[in-house]
Amino acid sequence: MAKTYEPDTGQQSPRGGLILLQSLILGLFCLFTVRLWYLQVHKGEHFAELARENQMRQASIIAARGMILDRNGKPLAINEPSFALGLIREDCEDIQATLRKVSEWTGLDYQVLLDTYIRGKKRSKQFEPMVLISNLSYELLAKIEANAVSWPGLEILIRHKRYYPDGQTLAHVMGYVAEANEEELEKDSRLALGDHVGKQGLELVLEQRLRGEKGLKQIEVDAYGREHDQQVIQEPRTGGNLMLSIDADLQTFVGKQLEGQAGAVVVLQPETGKVLALVSQPTYDNNLFVLGIPPKKWKELRDDPMHPIQNRVSQSVYPPGSTFKLLMAACALSEGLVKTSDTAFCSGSYRVGDHDFHCWKKGGHGSVDMRAALVHSCDVYFYQLGEKLGIDRINRYALQSGFGQPTGIDLPHERSGLIPSTAWKKRRYGENWTRGETLNASIGQGYVQVSPLQLAKFLASLVNGGKVIRPSLVLDDPVEVQSKLALSDKDREFILKAMADTVQAGTAQKLKRPDAVIGGKTGTAQVVKLQNADVRQKTHEMPYKYRDHAWISTWGQKDGKSYVVVCMLEHGGHGGESAGPVVKAVYDYLFGPVPAAAKSAAKAAGQPQPAQEIGD
Amino acid sequence: MSPLDRRLITHINWPLLVMVAMLFGVGVLNLYSASGFRMGDGVSLNPFYQKQCIWGLAGFLGMITMTLFDYRYFKHVAWPLMILTIVLLAMVPIMGKTVYGAKRWLDFGLFSIQPSEFAKFATLMLGALMLSKGTGRLGWLELFTILAVALPPAAMVIVQPDLGSGLNILLLLGGMILFRGLTGRVFKVLLVVVPAIIPCGWFFLKPYQKLRVLTLFNPERDPLGSGYHIIQSQIAIGSGQMWGKGFLEGTQSQLRFLPEKHTDFAVAVFAEEWGFVGAIVLVALFSIFLYLLAGASRDAKDRFGSFLCAGVFFYFFWQILINMGMVLGIMPVVGIPLPFISYGGSATIVNFCLIGIVLNVSMRRFVFKKA
Repeated sequence: MAKTYEPDTGQQSPRGGLILLQSLILGLFCLFTVRLWYLQVHKGEHFAELARENQMRQASIIAARGMILDRNGKPLAINEPSFALGLIREDCEDIQATLRKVSEWTGLDYQVLLDTYIRGKKRSKQFEPMVLISNLSYELLAKIEANAVSWPGLEILIRHKRYYPDGQTLAHVMGYVAEANEEELEKDSRLALGDHVGKQGLELVLEQRLRGEKGLKQIEVDAYGREHDQQVIQEPRTGGNLMLSIDADLQTFVGKQLEGQAGAVVVLQPETGKVLALVSQPTYDNNLFVLGIPPKKWKELRDDPMHPIQNRVSQSVYPPGSTFKLLMAACALSEGLVKTSDTAFCSGSYRVGDHDFHCWKKGGHGSVDMRAALVHSCDVYFYQLGEKLGIDRINRYALQSGFGQPTGIDLPHERSGLIPSTAWKKRRYGENWTRGETLNASIGQGYVQVSPLQLAKFLASLVNGGKVIRPSLVLDDPVEVQSKLALSDKDREFILKAMADTVQAGTAQKLKRPDAVIGGKTGTAQVVKLQNADVRQKTHEMPYKYRDHAWISTWGQKDGKSYVVVCMLEHGGHGGESAGPVVKAVYDYLFGPVPAAAKSAAKAAGQPQPAQEIGD
Repeated sequence: MSPLDRRLITHINWPLLVMVAMLFGVGVLNLYSASGFRMGDGVSLNPFYQKQCIWGLAGFLGMITMTLFDYRYFKHVAWPLMILTIVLLAMVPIMGKTVYGAKRWLDFGLFSIQPSEFAKFATLMLGALMLSKGTGRLGWLELFTILAVALPPAAMVIVQPDLGSGLNILLLLGGMILFRGLTGRVFKVLLVVVPAIIPCGWFFLKPYQKLRVLTLFNPERDPLGSGYHIIQSQIAIGSGQMWGKGFLEGTQSQLRFLPEKHTDFAVAVFAEEWGFVGAIVLVALFSIFLYLLAGASRDAKDRFGSFLCAGVFFYFFWQILINMGMVLGIMPVVGIPLPFISYGGSATIVNFCLIGIVLNVSMRRFVFKKA
């Protein structure tokens, strides 16, 4: 046996070799034991945490924005589902190629998408989809759905889109929401790219009340991002619904009255300051902004000479014209400088230095007391009153009464208007105040500028017993009394009576109706200084932009219901003539048509209809 | 071929056979888990573990075959097999089938073969034959003779490219040479020269291979690319902690964060589900397995048998070291499977056949019959 393979049998295996094998085994065992100990025991906790992170992703749950309703529960701002294209960058194999593909599908510029991505990268959490494109059209949605499968990381997201059923009618009140911009995202860490925030109107001012709170969910995913299980950690909280004091039907009705004109109407309840209608014409469709307004459309709106985006109720100020005489009378009475029975003589003009200040009535009003001066809107009476008061006293009283400052309504970018003073002039122009300027201010001309809303607020304080109340759009918000009008009840009622007389026999007779108490004061505010004060041109003969602003400030009471209605027509011409019919229509709507019985009773009484006074 | 003697049966190396069966059993059990992945509504299975059983059965038959004849016949087979291997390897670039970007297979219509597997056997047998001649330590001349014969097939395998198999062949041969022993001078020179040559090999690596080596030292440099394997593998193993997440409960593997989990990274699945305790048991099983191979080498009746067993020892030793080293994050990512644990058809058959050779050697350690 052994002979056959003799050379082989001597030493079976090298001794050194065996030792080598055994030490290799020992080395292998020790090496792996140490390494396994290190990974599994020493750092086990750390890796266990990493494994949990691997499989668990946290994602936000979108919270719906609160709805906005009118006082009768009619929806004014609602949420509709919309689709957005999201990108989870961790799942995306090649970001640039993916974005190029998206650009190809949508026709959007690649560079724009890349910029969006770079902005989104900064603030989206790990594995949280960032919104590349909001509000996909159904056409695009279908296209992307069909193709996105082969592009990992792309995902169709369901979001809420704001919709305003009465877009045009309420645009200035509601404002709109749109995608948060860089600045807004920077300021508010709760916002993510693609989130919508209020940009204008109530949506902006009440953003915090309307916006909900996002929820949080934990999703178990596999390495391919497929979701296996999810668990809500924090439920989303829907934003609060808001019921407005606005009456959508009244709003629509008033809007129709102003159609084709540039102007503002505000209707509010004097006791509470709650606004029933807030109309500014011309208007725009706020739904356009939600979808991201196309640049061309935006340019059109911005450059429109009629400024449809401007809210003329609170964001525009005008010389108030004769409606300012209400404040003049209140100021004089509260100062106790004049008695209501004191008279002045109006010859048609009033001479200061070498300049004649005219009354609107060429022949003059003759001898007028305060009541007559208000009813017939005598300028000369108020020139003299102004001289007695002096501009600084007028300024102080007007500021106390709420002019020259924002009213505090729940709308943004409110303008303060202007009540001049000697100090203001010095500061502004470095010049001294002149007597003539006081006269101009006394009839609501010159430097004086007020917004329709400020006037409505002042009127409300006259009607409600002297409470200066913040105008409010939210039905259930508590009434906020800002200050008390410095005016005795007797004097206040005197002014109200004079206003009622103005409707009965003065410049606002258009409003007269037998079944309600209505008081009013008209105003016709000059836009430019007349070149020739003697020749007052007829409105329709003047170029549009030089025409006067037409004002009418009114209150009306019937069956315990009380309203303040202020109307201003930009370049509308004569106050009572053009603004009067608008307000009359509003009262007809509010109080219903005049009952036939009341009409005939008035006729039967044989009261001769006084000649309509067309005056300031 | 001599018929099987009854004494041969009684001398079967049962401990080795039992150890192989245990390792293979653990491997199949682990593949069952590694084949599963969680779908929306439960665990779904890929049929890898079933296929592996079939490969194991084929390997078992191969193993039996390897014991049927006296291992000393391999002495006569060694040279022809080496020549055949070189011919087949030479055919690969010309008419090979391209799979995953590499030409490794020869398609003969009815069946396909991987000549690199032949190269393993050829190198093992020829190496054992050449090294078993003479008793002293190797001098320069003998060393170069052996390298001149064994290096060309290894080089041909590497350029296929099949770095894993090529490296395996080289290391097997190197292990056998060390097993024989080198003269002091040769050893000292090689101790200086070999570490100097290895960095030169860097320039022959493909870019993706370079990247793998670099990511070993810093996996975070490319966490979603080549570093992903290493990071996810370590997370899987580490998160198993002391006692493991339990069978079929490994999140890293079930949720498919672990790549190649049924092949190269199969042991990470095991370590995740069975924890430190389970992993140590597995390492111990492998150690015992290697110890039994070393024992077979020691107990062999002749030097040829001893060298055959040593060659098989090194074949498994390097695979275990490189694969587990890679999975544990202490070796670069090289596509070398873990014997009996990783899924793989030809690897399983080759492994069993090699065990067959060792069984052959140890069952004939007492009886030598005339051929």
